[in-house]
Amino acid sequence: MGGRTGRRAPTIDPIALEVFHHRLSAIAEEMGLTLCRSAFSPNIKERRDYSCAIFDARGTMAAQAAHIPVHLGSAPQSVLAVLRHHRLEAGDVVILNDPFAGGTHLPDVTVVAPVFRGERLLGHVANRAHHADIGGSSPGSMALAREIYQEGLRLPPVKIVRRGETDDDLLAVFLANTRIADERRGDLMAQLAALRVGAARLLELVDADGEAAVAAAMAALQDYSERLMRGALAALPDGSYAAEDWLDGDGLGRESIRIRVAVELDGGRARVDFSGSDDQVEGGVNANLAVTLAAVYYVFRCLAQADIPANAGMMRPIEVRAPEGSIVNAEFPAAVAGGNVETSQRIVDVLLRALAGAVPERVPAASCGSMSNFAFGGYDAARGRHFSYYETIAGGAGASAAAAGESAVQTHMTNTMNTPVEALEADLPVRVTRYAIRRNSGGRGEHAGGDGIEREIELLAPASVTLLGERRRYAPYGLAGGAPAKPGRNRLRLPGGTSKPLPAKVSVTAPSGTKIRIDTPGGGGWGKHKPRSQRSPKTTQRR
Amino acid sequence: MARSSAVLVGVDTGGTFTDFVGVWPDGDCRIHKRPSTPDDPARAVLAGLEELLGDADADITYGSTVATNAVLERKGAEVVVLTTAGFEDLLEIGRQTRPDIYALQPRKPQPLVGRARRIGVDERMTFDGAALSSLTAAEIDRAVRRVTASRVGSVALCLLHSYANPDHERRLADALRARGVHCSVSSELVAEYREYERLSTTVINAYVAPVMERHLVRLGEGVGNRRLRVLQSSGGATSRETASHEAVRTLLSGPAGGVVGALAAARRIGESKLITLDMGGTSTDVSLVDGAVRRHTEWTIGDLPVKVPAIDIHTVGAGGGSLATIDAGGALKVGPESAGADPGPACYGRGELPTVTDADLVLGRLVEDAFLGGDMRIDRQRAVRALSGLARRLRVSVEAAAEGVVRVVNAGMERAMRTMSVERGLDPRDYVLVCFGGAAGMHACELADALGMRKVLVPTHPGVLSAWGAMRAPVERAHVQTVRLVDPSDAELAAAAAPLRERVIAELAAECPGARCEIEVSVDLRYRGQSYEIEVALGGGLRRRFDEAHRRLYGYADPERAIEAVNLRVAGAVAAPKQREKKQPRRRPRQRPPRQLWWADGWRRARHVERMEMPAGRSLAGPLIITEVSATTVVAPGWRASVAPGGDLILSRGRQGKRNGR
Repeated sequence: MGGRTGRRAPTIDPIALEVFHHRLSAIAEEMGLTLCRSAFSPNIKERRDYSCAIFDARGTMAAQAAHIPVHLGSAPQSVLAVLRHHRLEAGDVVILNDPFAGGTHLPDVTVVAPVFRGERLLGHVANRAHHADIGGSSPGSMALAREIYQEGLRLPPVKIVRRGETDDDLLAVFLANTRIADERRGDLMAQLAALRVGAARLLELVDADGEAAVAAAMAALQDYSERLMRGALAALPDGSYAAEDWLDGDGLGRESIRIRVAVELDGGRARVDFSGSDDQVEGGVNANLAVTLAAVYYVFRCLAQADIPANAGMMRPIEVRAPEGSIVNAEFPAAVAGGNVETSQRIVDVLLRALAGAVPERVPAASCGSMSNFAFGGYDAARGRHFSYYETIAGGAGASAAAAGESAVQTHMTNTMNTPVEALEADLPVRVTRYAIRRNSGGRGEHAGGDGIEREIELLAPASVTLLGERRRYAPYGLAGGAPAKPGRNRLRLPGGTSKPLPAKVSVTAPSGTKIRIDTPGGGGWGKHKPRSQRSPKTTQRR
Repeated sequence: MARSSAVLVGVDTGGTFTDFVGVWPDGDCRIHKRPSTPDDPARAVLAGLEELLGDADADITYGSTVATNAVLERKGAEVVVLTTAGFEDLLEIGRQTRPDIYALQPRKPQPLVGRARRIGVDERMTFDGAALSSLTAAEIDRAVRRVTASRVGSVALCLLHSYANPDHERRLADALRARGVHCSVSSELVAEYREYERLSTTVINAYVAPVMERHLVRLGEGVGNRRLRVLQSSGGATSRETASHEAVRTLLSGPAGGVVGALAAARRIGESKLITLDMGGTSTDVSLVDGAVRRHTEWTIGDLPVKVPAIDIHTVGAGGGSLATIDAGGALKVGPESAGADPGPACYGRGELPTVTDADLVLGRLVEDAFLGGDMRIDRQRAVRALSGLARRLRVSVEAAAEGVVRVVNAGMERAMRTMSVERGLDPRDYVLVCFGGAAGMHACELADALGMRKVLVPTHPGVLSAWGAMRAPVERAHVQTVRLVDPSDAELAAAAAPLRERVIAELAAECPGARCEIEVSVDLRYRGQSYEIEVALGGGLRRRFDEAHRRLYGYADPERAIEAVNLRVAGAVAAPKQREKKQPRRRPRQRPPRQLWWADGWRRARHVERMEMPAGRSLAGPLIITEVSATTVVAPGWRASVAPGGDLILSRGRQGKRNGR
């Protein structure tokens, strides 16, 4: 014993497991750093909307560095899809973004490469990054569409590099179908560079420890995550818990879309059933299965309260049933741009609402429940170039039995940064005229929900603007008697001074001088609001 | 600048001890330690100086934790923040992200200044420095009235795009300073774009400057006519006045001293490419020195960003006192929980839980009766007892469990060393591992082997290297200016850098009249459209050197793509006076009984020598244990140890270099 991992019969003891965990997560993180630092899309470089992962030879995920949870659990689907479509050779790279073949929504472009030593397949490396534009009917590729064809360029798993040779024809097609081709090329180079780093490090690891030891350790790491997740689930009270919640609408006239969930906790296993959720809709708020899985895994990862390495093992004790053709498992050719960013948040809300029945002392009220997506683009005459930009705006977090909710913070399925005002104004024909906390937008309660954000941007060039938001009608719920938060709202003020509300989901063309104002929802309150005199000093609203 | 009669002194305040190193004009070197006085750090510093110096004249450089602790313990001054109207909440919104993505109750760091003290000013600059909305005299009056009404003595000023045109900030600052209000001005501290990070830096400065000023006034009175400088996070020293007004520059003063000291020690043996390893009780600091210390401006303190330069140090949450546990999933974890100073490792006599120090003791790496020069007894039986529970759960021997603890803690340190080297496109095999702090030398050979490094340096006085480094630090000033020039010519860059250069030269001339200063000018470059820059020294072949650096860091370059010069950086330094240190006298070797050392699955006999008894000019082969008052070094089988003329201990890999211990 003593933890020697020889080349013959690798034994993965608790020591080797932890050592290997360090090594593998370091590789995933280094891939992420390479991608982030050399990318061009604000979404990647400023907002960290990407993830990197390492897979074993069979294509199961062994480690992932994700900066936003929506990539958790959706990445495994991508490599499985690649392996279904292709026999990979050394030097190949497969690109994909098809939501119905391993992708999430079209702007998320995934690249996957096998790692070989000689003839031997050792594993795979992959990364996924949100490009600022992938074509479609409006800049930012988040427009209201009726089917996937209108949302942009769709790439089924195809080889963009074959045995080390880039397919320039395919690359040309890719670049020709996006708005800022030069930026796309730069982002793709950064993604490929991250794959090279990951592959090189994995090879070094195998050189140092031996192939069998690495394979055994990858498997052991998955078993380890599975044990941690089972332990966490076993700590929750067994039973059945159900809840439902609604999406405001699909932006094309369909309102009140229901998501229903029943959760069964049973001695270290969880069964999550979305039966009874509405059918998929015409507008782009449909979630494909990858997105729904990501939301489910996220919720249980939060409840686990343990640092569980993100890999396939973590997901084994959780069984998900999502009816085909429903809003949470949409089928081709549904439009899905908003499923990833909006519906994923609602899936979290409904699941947490159900689990509040199991652990009321731990589950917070609803957070803002929308990423308040804001995209615009056009031609910038002053700089002589086209522009396309996309951002998400944070909101309030839900309060809990323990504390008030945080204000102006990204919650649940996203954690992307804002773009600095000074960077935005230097690069694009816009001016930020207000960026503030939306006071008193959190729900009242014994503990108040966090407040949302007020953000106003003035266009300095004519632009096409897309808003894709939720929780403008169905407010984020409170719990245990706490009040719901204020829903979000959007306004547009034309240069002349006319001002009008904008719907939650809309695409408009606006003249230079237009101001777009977005107020994001707060978080729900927790517990009955008591008059000041009855409160203990500790439970007053923060700040 | 050196005054021939003065003693050169370095001081470093740690959590437990305040360390002093003094070198007298005749080369005599003295070390002194005394318990820190956290309630009033000046007390220990002044008392220690008195004990060390008597009434000798001295040039003192001081590594201070006063600013750091004020931020971490939230004990800074009351501050009013002035920002562009409409952006008063910027400090609270931050980058709108949460530090822990899987926290059901997300928390951002609490802003240092609450909403009621954040005041909007009616004005607006654009990114190219034009005043879209001018700052009127009436608006200045209004702002001044609000500040004075608040009775707060420290103001942070940060207006949008002030890096491009500081006029509005300056006029507000002039009006406030005329009334005796302390102003921290963003364009003076860090004229760099990205408003939140600049604001955060400015607010931290306003928060800590009054505290630092009080502390330094008190120290200044205590040291009388002796010269007192403060070490900055960048590894350069600065005057008392600058350290008071720009206290944010001293936040990482302590760890910086260690790296500066490591470089100074390495230069004595002709090396300047180093990876430094400072293993303390609860954490380990790793840094990489590539001819010169490497600085960065992307760091945080308590999750709050700071944009002034600091030595790039990677901290791992594991050290000698870190606890070893088996988690719910069955993996062996070491840290981040620590036994701390109380109860401390089990072998210290009070704690029951196993730590890294206990594992080192069980494996025979620590010598019971030589710990802290024999002043402190450590108990091997207690360490064995603490580790036997772990061994039972692992179903291995106590020694194998202890070895496991060492392997896991080493894995974390190895990861940090890789982050600093391999991830930056640098090959660790080209570097020397420099160990200091009490425990680093016990893990050095294994870490060096894991990274293919062939040489390890343990400097003289490894236990007080931060104080020794502070003494060796140059006096330094550095400034930055965002320029944002696309495909700039060398002449354009030189012209843009000229005002910064003059400012740095003037400031250094004021601090060190008549001294020769070295000026370095560099530029942060990126491909147009990227957001992260690579710092490249100004000079010929700039474009080529940038492409090469990009390729080294990220694996590709794009020589056709336009580049953008984002920030110009000018740093000026005046070297510390050269003061020769006398060689420490070697002691006559004493025969010591061999030690039992567990290494790679089995017990081996290892020689034990006192460092001061190491024979000069002859190397000893491992396995070997070298003890000294403040540190222990383990020379692994396959390694050799020798003492350089300056007294530095050098370990080198034998011919058949290969990974071991795995």
